[in-house]
Amino acid sequence: MNSPYKKPNFFIREIPLIVLLVFWVIYAGIEIIRDRFDLLTSIIPTGLFIAAYIIVRLTSKDQKGQG
Amino acid sequence: MDTFMALELIALTLTGLLIWHSACTRGTAFTWMFFLGGAFLGLLRENVVAQVAALNLYSYSPATFHLWIGAAPLILMVFWSYTIYLALTFSEFIVSGDLIGGRRRVWVILLSMVFMASYACLNEAFASIYPMVLWKFKPALTVWGGTPAMVLWGYAGMALIFLLTLLLVYNLRIRTIYRVIIFCASVIVMIPLHLLWIAVFRLATSAIG
Repeated sequence: MNSPYKKPNFFIREIPLIVLLVFWVIYAGIEIIRDRFDLLTSIIPTGLFIAAYIIVRLTSKDQKGQG
Repeated sequence: MDTFMALELIALTLTGLLIWHSACTRGTAFTWMFFLGGAFLGLLRENVVAQVAALNLYSYSPATFHLWIGAAPLILMVFWSYTIYLALTFSEFIVSGDLIGGRRRVWVILLSMVFMASYACLNEAFASIYPMVLWKFKPALTVWGGTPAMVLWGYAGMALIFLLTLLLVYNLRIRTIYRVIIFCASVIVMIPLHLLWIAVFRLATSAIG
């Protein structure tokens, strides 16, 4: 069946990355402020997804789908 | 303004951005189903979990949250939908897949589950600081701040159940309004399935510790 995906502009396209980055920075920031920062278990797992997303974005010219 | 109140409002605002993204890139039918269904799921599931003592899971800390719907914080109306939406979007992009279109669907779902477990790491480490959640049982396996290890399993399972149900209902050849209604109603099936999913983990780990 046909996918309903459309080609968005740059800002709309990157909303998921922006949202995750905002959560990521806020959570890490508050953990640091409260002296409960846990690099390995808290920040790295989602950080790997952010890194993978950026790498794929930079290495692919025309991603179909939501991007 | 209290820090946590600001966080609740930020989460609601960011969810609004994701709804906008979904409407622009995936269409209104998908967006209505995903976010309205997610809201019903969050509202009903979290109230059930918080209020049914027999489940012996958790309740929400009244000292932490400000905005409530029944026994669950308002933010839980958007929590499952925005986390699963992020999981789906990141996973589709990374594997160049398409859940609805059918391209690399299995990989999209599996990676979404891994994303959710990863997000559980981020969210639950943060949640244990306040704490947001008051656990009613002593878990056999714990991670940060006494948080049960089952949260990783639980987040992943929610993505699996939600996305499979969404796919099933989305592909029904009926009018959009009926698909939205059916998906929203299907939370009464998703919730016990997810509780069963969690129970399997608790049973499997009960011998430990």
